[in-house]
Amino acid sequence: MRLIPDAAKRKWSRWIGRRLPPQEKVTLSHKGIFILPSAFGLAWLALIVLLYLLGTNYQNNLVIGLSLLLASVFHTCILYSYKNLAGLTFNAISPADAYAEQAHTFPIMLSGHAKQKHRDTTHQQICMQFIGQRHIRLQHTEEQTIATVQYDNPKRGLLTPGRIKVWSHFPLGLFKAWSYVDLDLHQVVFAAPLECDIHLTSQAAEDNNDISHGKIRPGVDDYTGLRSYVAGESLKQVAWKQWAQDKGMLTKEFNQPEGAPVWLSLADTQGHDLEQRLSKLSWQVNYLAQKNQIFGLIIDNQTLTQSSGESHRIACQKALALYRPSVNFQSDNHLGGQNAG
Amino acid sequence: MQDNFDSIISRNTLLWLLLTNVAVLSPQFEHATPWTTAICAICFVWRMGIYYGKVAAPPKWLVTSLAIGAATTLALVSSQIGLLNALINLLLLGYALKYIEMRELRDVKTVVLVGYFIIGFTLLNQQAIINTVHLALVAIINTSVLISVYQDNHKPSANLRFSFKIMLHSLPLAIVLFVVFPRLGPLWLVPSMKSAKTGLSDEMSFGDISKLTRSDELAFRVGFENSDGSTLGPANADLYWRTLVMENYDGKTWRQDPSIKEMQRQSFYQPSKRPLPKTEQLSSQKDAKQSSLRQKTLNYVVISEPSHQRWLYGLDQAFSQDNSIVELPDYTLYAMRPLDQRQSYRVVSYPNSQMDTKLTPKIRDINLTLPPNANPQTWRLAQQFSQQYPQPKARINAMMKYFAEQAYYYTLSPPAIGNEQIDDFLFENRAGFCAHYASALVYLARASGIPARMVTGYQGGEYNPKAGYYSVYQYMAHAWTEVWFEGEGWRPFDPTAMIAPQRILDGFDATFDSQNSYLLDSPFSTLRLKQYPWLNNIRNQIASMDYYWSVWVLGFDEQRKQAVLKKLLGDVSTSKMAIAMLVCITIILLFIAYFAGLFERKPKPDRLSRRYQAIVQKIMLKGAPEQAQLPPLAYAQALSAKWAISTPQWLPHFNQFSAEFVALKYQQLTTEQRAVHLRQFNRLYWALRLALFVSKPK
Repeated sequence: MRLIPDAAKRKWSRWIGRRLPPQEKVTLSHKGIFILPSAFGLAWLALIVLLYLLGTNYQNNLVIGLSLLLASVFHTCILYSYKNLAGLTFNAISPADAYAEQAHTFPIMLSGHAKQKHRDTTHQQICMQFIGQRHIRLQHTEEQTIATVQYDNPKRGLLTPGRIKVWSHFPLGLFKAWSYVDLDLHQVVFAAPLECDIHLTSQAAEDNNDISHGKIRPGVDDYTGLRSYVAGESLKQVAWKQWAQDKGMLTKEFNQPEGAPVWLSLADTQGHDLEQRLSKLSWQVNYLAQKNQIFGLIIDNQTLTQSSGESHRIACQKALALYRPSVNFQSDNHLGGQNAG
Repeated sequence: MQDNFDSIISRNTLLWLLLTNVAVLSPQFEHATPWTTAICAICFVWRMGIYYGKVAAPPKWLVTSLAIGAATTLALVSSQIGLLNALINLLLLGYALKYIEMRELRDVKTVVLVGYFIIGFTLLNQQAIINTVHLALVAIINTSVLISVYQDNHKPSANLRFSFKIMLHSLPLAIVLFVVFPRLGPLWLVPSMKSAKTGLSDEMSFGDISKLTRSDELAFRVGFENSDGSTLGPANADLYWRTLVMENYDGKTWRQDPSIKEMQRQSFYQPSKRPLPKTEQLSSQKDAKQSSLRQKTLNYVVISEPSHQRWLYGLDQAFSQDNSIVELPDYTLYAMRPLDQRQSYRVVSYPNSQMDTKLTPKIRDINLTLPPNANPQTWRLAQQFSQQYPQPKARINAMMKYFAEQAYYYTLSPPAIGNEQIDDFLFENRAGFCAHYASALVYLARASGIPARMVTGYQGGEYNPKAGYYSVYQYMAHAWTEVWFEGEGWRPFDPTAMIAPQRILDGFDATFDSQNSYLLDSPFSTLRLKQYPWLNNIRNQIASMDYYWSVWVLGFDEQRKQAVLKKLLGDVSTSKMAIAMLVCITIILLFIAYFAGLFERKPKPDRLSRRYQAIVQKIMLKGAPEQAQLPPLAYAQALSAKWAISTPQWLPHFNQFSAEFVALKYQQLTTEQRAVHLRQFNRLYWALRLALFVSKPK
């Protein structure tokens, strides 16, 4: 592959893109299935020639017959390797959250139709991969199978993994039949979560006061007293010191009035570079969402008002994931809390 | 991007490899040296151990040292067992050792490819129908290994079934290719098997032919191809299958002349061909008809059984266009390669033409030489003949008559003979078989000054009327003489015919009780069935099948190919061939595609779904929302919500209809319940069709 010039590759890629355009649902057919002999297929051809020479030199028709039978098997395998892919339908299923630097899997629904008597000769050992990524091999593709196609080390931001290469060596490994499936996949890759202290600012959008930007820390860190532990509460908030003094399980209570506005802010997050700061925010967003806390997010001129719940978490993560720093705003943004629409 | 899981060999594949190993190696058993067999067995047992998890894979150094050791031993013994045998053994060892050190998928593929190659080698000397079927099975097993690698189903029976299917699908194209593919002559000289030779040998002492008469083995078969389409050959008395000419006699043994032996040795490099008989070439237009009557030719195909010798069989005077056959000046045919496998060749014989009307002094000398100071009585008898009959022809006829008139007996177990062989036979024992009489006649002729020589071959043939061919068995081995006359050349004389005319006229079986000759040593020979007509019939049937196999498969050559193509296509032109091939391949492709299930459409939705969908389509025309992926009941609810204010008349029907549909489709129902629901469903269907038809469009 390395020997092929880039220009040819690009041309090929364009041609494939035109021939197999992105679609929500792709069914493989003669239009998109390519078949070429594998290295083993070439060795097979060499064996055929060798047997033919053996048969000719010993004037033995049966050996010649054997070589011709193997040649005919070669021919038969073309059809079977085509049939193995043809009729296979691909459907994307909405994937789980993707985080940068973590292997992400795109679930793809494969559905085939094969009569019972052809079950063992259709859709066998389908391999799938994104170009340049690890591949997976499917066994027992039944009426409907969900394949999880890997994408390693995605970057933060919008990920378009591109075409999926689908191939198989069925039935004898003599041919590689392959195709490209473009399901028009895209996925927002969230910043890699980085565990850190929860760092909330009480800066509310409405009291837009320059003086009151001094940080007080309501929420988790605002200790008010102890109360007895209720089963199911976070072990992180258990007062272990008191427990060790044999005073029983007590939970540290914090000053955290329900609905009190808390803000996560990029500007106030410490870190040696932007990615690390975003990673910390990503972790905090997940943590707070899991705790069912109400929080808001301020990134530069973008503000997500306080809310809670899964959709809010996704919105925050998306904002973090798609954040591109703009040079102009960078300098005066350390205050955060810009009220931007 | 290769992952580990791609090179792991599955347990199912390992099982298939165990099976394949036995299947591929066992037919080669007789060619394997004891060492090879032992190493193969060890490798197999080791693999079994690996399969059952008892032992680990052998270390690499062990495999390497075994391989080097085995190859060295083979190189040392290769001169004893023959080069080809050594090569086969090397192949077997390589196969076994590669088999044991297999770690990755590519090793499996190598083993499979070598497996096919070994099957090819096995076919070199196992060519009967039964062997071919057996080896086809081995090939299917070998293919199953690959299938087990690439098929999801890990049941061996499923792998085997699919392998069989692929082979079956490949068979038609293979047959077409077999017919049209060009048959070339051997491209280079290849080593041959060293095996025990059977049949006639190039030396003859009295005991040899008698040994052959004890053998019921098939020597060769002949199919005559007469211009009128019949398959009958000449009468039994004319079936003298000339094989070897022996001119040197040392008092005990007849041998070929060294000059002929030299030509045989050089045959591959200087293939000698004899000119066709002159009368044929000279025939002018005027006497063409007459000469063709005189110059009758015989066309036939000889299918020789493997004798591991190189001499061939032919009627007088045999010519062959085959370029792997040389025509020697003693009017015999000689193969460039030993007959290690069943082999067929075409012969044209000119029975009425003359052989060597002129003799060089050297050859004349050779054919007059007798061992000095031997057989004095025979010498004296010869002198008497030459005084009495000065004419050579009359003299030989008198000698022949002498055998008939004197008290000589024909027997296959003659009494022992002393040093003066001919004297002892002619004057003491007075009993012997063809070799004795032929020797005596040559001796007498030479002693009286007439060039004469010994010819060995076979006499007679058993006709199979079903398939129309002659079988010649080893027990039909025969020896006769050729005497040279000025102006006439060599003429055959068979003194045996004077003593036992039945033997020549009606064949061996008419003269001798088979039980006491060729069946003596073979209690289970199928030839015993001759006594029972209907069993003999079956024997003939099986023999015919074998014959057709030999002619149409083993002996399928360029000439047969042309004949077949001519019959199928009319004339054989390149373009016609190309079109025919194209049509064939297309038909075969369609055939495979059909049986592979490529033309099968997506299964149609059943009647219930079709009816439900039909109604939904009609409702959508009335302005209902798309059904999209909604399940039927949810869709019905959605419709009710949409038309909550002005409910169309048919909507309640539709809700009921949907419920019935879900019930029929997804609920477990007894037969009676099902019938009730189905009736309701159909009633609602027609009601809805009607209601939707009459209701006003929105």
